[in-house]
Amino acid sequence: MSEAEKQRIKEASSELKAGVCSLLEVPQGEVFRILEIKGGPGLHRRLLALGFHRGDLVTLDGEALMGGPVLVRNLTTDTRLALGRGIAGKILVEPVKDVGE
Amino acid sequence: MSGNNIPEIVFIGQPNCGKSTLFNAIAGYKAQTSNFPGTTVAHLHSQVLWKGKVYSIVDLPGTYSLTPQEPQEKVVLTHIFKEKPDLIVNVIDASLLCRSLELTVELLELEYPMVVVLNMMDLAEKKGMKIDIRALEEKLGVPVIKTVATRGEGISELMDRIERTLGQRHRPRHLSYYREVENRIKKLTEMLPEDFPVVSNPRFTAIRAIEAETLSVDKFIAENNPQLKSALEKIREELSALRNAPAYEVLAAERHHLALKIFEDCCRVRHARVSGLEKLDDFIMHPVLGLFLLLLIFAGMFYLIFRVGSPLESWLLQPWESLRSGIHQRYGQSLLAELLVGLVQGIGGGVAIVFPYFIPLLLLMGFLEDIGYLARAGFLMDAFMHRIGLHGKSVPLFILGFGCNVPAIMATRILESRRDRIITALLIPFIPCAARTTIILALLAFLLGPWWALGFYLVNIIVVAVLGAVLTRIFRYSSPGLILEIPELRWPSLKNILQKTFYNLKEFVRFAWPILIAGSVFLSLLSYLHFDRLVNSILAPLVSGLLGLPAELGVTLIFGFLRKELSLLMMFQALGVNFDNLLQAISRAQLLTFVTFVNFFIPCLATLAILWKELGRRIAMISLALNLTLAVLISWLVRLVFSVF
Repeated sequence: MSEAEKQRIKEASSELKAGVCSLLEVPQGEVFRILEIKGGPGLHRRLLALGFHRGDLVTLDGEALMGGPVLVRNLTTDTRLALGRGIAGKILVEPVKDVGE
Repeated sequence: MSGNNIPEIVFIGQPNCGKSTLFNAIAGYKAQTSNFPGTTVAHLHSQVLWKGKVYSIVDLPGTYSLTPQEPQEKVVLTHIFKEKPDLIVNVIDASLLCRSLELTVELLELEYPMVVVLNMMDLAEKKGMKIDIRALEEKLGVPVIKTVATRGEGISELMDRIERTLGQRHRPRHLSYYREVENRIKKLTEMLPEDFPVVSNPRFTAIRAIEAETLSVDKFIAENNPQLKSALEKIREELSALRNAPAYEVLAAERHHLALKIFEDCCRVRHARVSGLEKLDDFIMHPVLGLFLLLLIFAGMFYLIFRVGSPLESWLLQPWESLRSGIHQRYGQSLLAELLVGLVQGIGGGVAIVFPYFIPLLLLMGFLEDIGYLARAGFLMDAFMHRIGLHGKSVPLFILGFGCNVPAIMATRILESRRDRIITALLIPFIPCAARTTIILALLAFLLGPWWALGFYLVNIIVVAVLGAVLTRIFRYSSPGLILEIPELRWPSLKNILQKTFYNLKEFVRFAWPILIAGSVFLSLLSYLHFDRLVNSILAPLVSGLLGLPAELGVTLIFGFLRKELSLLMMFQALGVNFDNLLQAISRAQLLTFVTFVNFFIPCLATLAILWKELGRRIAMISLALNLTLAVLISWLVRLVFSVF
């Protein structure tokens, strides 16, 4: 039990090193992969229904002024959402090195 | 199945897939469309005759998935379960094929006869997508039809295919998930007790039950069948362990992967050129330039209202005015004359709303909506709206409200949460509509100076913002924040805009106009019976006591309830002056107090009626009380402030 927990903590910290951050902290135009959607089941289901899943590739398309929403494009399903900052902050992503263009 | 032999066909699709356009293209103008107010969101029902057979077609609100979270989505699910349609037409925006297929996979699980429509094929082609229809039909196991609903392409093929599919009674097979997941579903399917309310088929029911985690259905199962509940929990745990995610996500991910796989197998995407619209989009969504453009569009709308609407209104009112004086000449002051005048005023008033304001605004809004601008305005303004406890989705509604409150309240249907809908609908009557703007301009800008009018407008907007903040505190609920799909910009089709305008207009003409006419006739009757003196004396404590206005103005308020500008017109009559010597009869402070009061005091009859119809009597009454209280308060403050100077 405690072994497993240790393992998970270790994994989590290695994730952090690999540049894991929320959608709020990523630069515009670069490609990221969704790692996890935090927050309650309501928000989680909503995003799933809108076609935002773990493993999808996303990129930040823009943001509004004064703490307004961010514009996120899902490259996997080719859709675009405006997400409030609170919500964008709950989506964890990691950088994708080779986009394979 | 519908009771008689008319087959029922439901149209289901994700929001913005052109489902309603397709529905209209099939149902046409001749179709009997009627509104069935479901819970809050209506769905359209229509009967269509195709090659000698009658079909009952239903246009359900757009839904992203069958796990309903928002009121309009619940309407979809309830309808499927209750009515058991004979055929489902799944409408897909072909340019968003990949995402849309997730709902298709879900619908296939119902195993109802189904036809898939790839709508907006023109857009998909522009995006460089090449969709292999044959392969798609094979993968999905149901017929697939290509359409461009805006141009009416593919409609007859679709109807033929619907007829054939209905005849075959072919039920499609669901697509299979990953084996380990499928096993768990099967296990639950076998455990379902015999009396369990099975929807469509046991597998679908089992999937819904697993996904119901954290939804209220789950509690229901726990209370009625604790044994099943614990088995369900175990299956959820197992599923969850498979992917290290909640069970509902595991199932959603299965559908996502099925959709991705089908998409990859059936669709090839060449790299498309960046279109002019995409370049335009960069400008529209630009954090600074975009806001600037938004302001410009606002300004353009006002320009339209004042430069086109107002002159047109007075021009349109002229013949009715002469008709009115004609009636007086012919019949004198008899009861008949008064009633006829009431009738003429009601009809003429309607004409004067519909043509100068309603139609141009509906056309303009239809254009902004179809090109995809409203969602973008929501994105740009979200931060401001958060200050008053709403989010960006309400912005387009307020913009609409500046033209006329009635269609704005009608359009609050697009808001998912009832709380947001109520707050927005309560705020809209405080937005100065075109009619009220006319008063502000005519009285304040003309008699006191343009800065007074501008200042008044500013105060009005502040009142809306403060009220919004207060209402948010009352209807407490932490808003989860904005999640709004931003569709690609697309060139709107004129036909579509005209059709939409026509439908909205029809709703207004059928609903609000008769009330306007009846109200007008009723008021004429009252004035014939010299009811106005009674009204003045009843309202005197308010009008002259609290607000310090001449008591004669009391009766004009009653007219203002009918139409706001009537208060203005009746004011001259009540005071026995005309426009030029108005300021000899009342002071500037009194004028300001009066305009303030008229502006806020009540949602006009048509607005109140639409509030009642859309959100119920309670909300309509709250709106009435709110407006009345604030009007008294604010105009009293105005009086107070000006008595100091």
